[in-house]
Amino acid sequence: MNNHDPALSVEIAGVSLKNPVIGASGTFGYGLEFAELVDLNRLGGFSTKGLSAKPLPGNPPPRIVETHGGMLNAIGLQNIGARAFVEEKLPLLRRYDTRVIANVFGYSDEDYIEAITILNDGPGIDAYELNISCPNVKEGGIVIGSSPSAAARLTEKAKRASSRPLIVKLSPNVTDVSELALAIVGAGADCLSLINTLVGMSIDVNTRRPRLSYGTGGLSGPAIRPIAVRMVHEVARTVKVPIIGVGGIASAMDALEFMIAGATAVQIGTANYYDPKVTMKVIDGLSDYCRQEKVPHISSLVGSLITS
Amino acid sequence: MIETTARVESNREIVSGYRLLTLSFEQDIPVRAGQFAMLKAHSCHEPLLRRALAIYRAEGPRQLSFLYQVLGRGTEALSQIESEGRVDALLPLGNGWLDLSQGNAGDQEDHEKERRRAIVVAGGIGSASVLMLCDELSRSATETHIFFGAATERVARGCGLDDLRELALPLTLTTDDGSLGEGGFVTAPLERHLREGGGEGATIYACGPWVMMRRVAEIAAHYSVRCLASLEAPMGCGFGVCVGCVVAVKHEGPAGYGSYRRVCTDGSVFPAEIIRWEVNAMAH
Repeated sequence: MNNHDPALSVEIAGVSLKNPVIGASGTFGYGLEFAELVDLNRLGGFSTKGLSAKPLPGNPPPRIVETHGGMLNAIGLQNIGARAFVEEKLPLLRRYDTRVIANVFGYSDEDYIEAITILNDGPGIDAYELNISCPNVKEGGIVIGSSPSAAARLTEKAKRASSRPLIVKLSPNVTDVSELALAIVGAGADCLSLINTLVGMSIDVNTRRPRLSYGTGGLSGPAIRPIAVRMVHEVARTVKVPIIGVGGIASAMDALEFMIAGATAVQIGTANYYDPKVTMKVIDGLSDYCRQEKVPHISSLVGSLITS
Repeated sequence: MIETTARVESNREIVSGYRLLTLSFEQDIPVRAGQFAMLKAHSCHEPLLRRALAIYRAEGPRQLSFLYQVLGRGTEALSQIESEGRVDALLPLGNGWLDLSQGNAGDQEDHEKERRRAIVVAGGIGSASVLMLCDELSRSATETHIFFGAATERVARGCGLDDLRELALPLTLTTDDGSLGEGGFVTAPLERHLREGGGEGATIYACGPWVMMRRVAEIAAHYSVRCLASLEAPMGCGFGVCVGCVVAVKHEGPAGYGSYRRVCTDGSVFPAEIIRWEVNAMAH
């Protein structure tokens, strides 16, 4: 099925998407893994597994544990590295007509810039997503993303180094997400995506050890959706740049919640694991909703929350 | 890889805590011995993730059965599905046993030589991933000896003892409590067998608890017998994207990337000698 519903097209930081449905970083591999399962040409876009300048091994197992309504992960950003992505994955991805967002990670500001510089050479990347919110690393990631000043400093450097629009992915593990968002937008971010996972922990009472070798992990899945919707709503009222909503989306109705709260597009994460065709179902569901509710264009729903 | 919804033909308890789930599909599902499926009751919202179950037997091109132990929330939910119920399935997954032994072998002649003798070692519900293998080995005229260990006679029955017996292959049984066969672990008679020269020209196929496979790998290395192990790990997706199910492996080159492999797509069958058994022991 290659027909695209024109009512679903959206634009983020100058990048037009066929629809607002994006595969979330860390749950969509390098995109190609889904080629057998979904029609990638129908997808709005996807964000790659976090790419670092050099390949990373990730954390020792166990790396995941299921919780009620979600799961904890502490993968530790195992990835093939920015160079291998450019050389091995991008040429194959060019066969597909979908937007490719390269999620970028580093242990230091310099690492991030090095990864972006490598990725700048790669044709067919539409935007970067700065991962300053991964909770499963001792340096970089959330360490930068928890401090508005550190996040702003890195955003500014990344924006300067980047040849493409810059999305910054926010951590929910902060006291004031709006303060963080303002600092990052002030430093030049073109778009914000939120939320990354919430730091959590699970303990095996028989061994009295954490169930994850890393100790803590990032909580994702439907359990975190209300928190994500609230944060998107809060940030949308604070900043002018477009927002990508992410956190526990598993259906078109879930996606619509985020859009009404103020997100221009959405990312689908954990649901890809247990429902590999979920992105297609959400796209179809959004089309159905627009038709049934006589919404001429989905963008008219963005930030349409009625509070009175 | 097929993502579909299957119909439950039956979901029968063999002994308490062990069941056989038989699913019918609307299309042919080509499977190899040792592959697995990610399964979950259709429209089940909790638990969220599908469960990886070994494909026990192909009853026909469109009918597969799964032998499983009810261990946690996922298998508990599966155990509740009644006949005519529906199951979401992603399959076939993993490399399977013979794919690996063929893929890595040299020329065809070497490969034939290699498969002349097979030693299959199954512990507990690990039996679920070896029944098809034993069947294929015996059909290909490979001299096959099965070593099967379980905690008790009851567990052995739950883990498909009758089906293994039906193959009419040499079968050495052990139970931890001595209620059936030799008392103790299955690795004891395996070691005797190899000491007596039973491992010459053989490949060992092992599936069972981590400690069992680790010991089998040690014994195999000691007697210089090739050993393949089918591993299990908690899986988020089953098709390579979550990178949650990794095992630590020995690898060449600089420390770092390459230290871990995914059980779902790089395995689940691995050459036993590449696994860093001591590292992953924590997870099992």
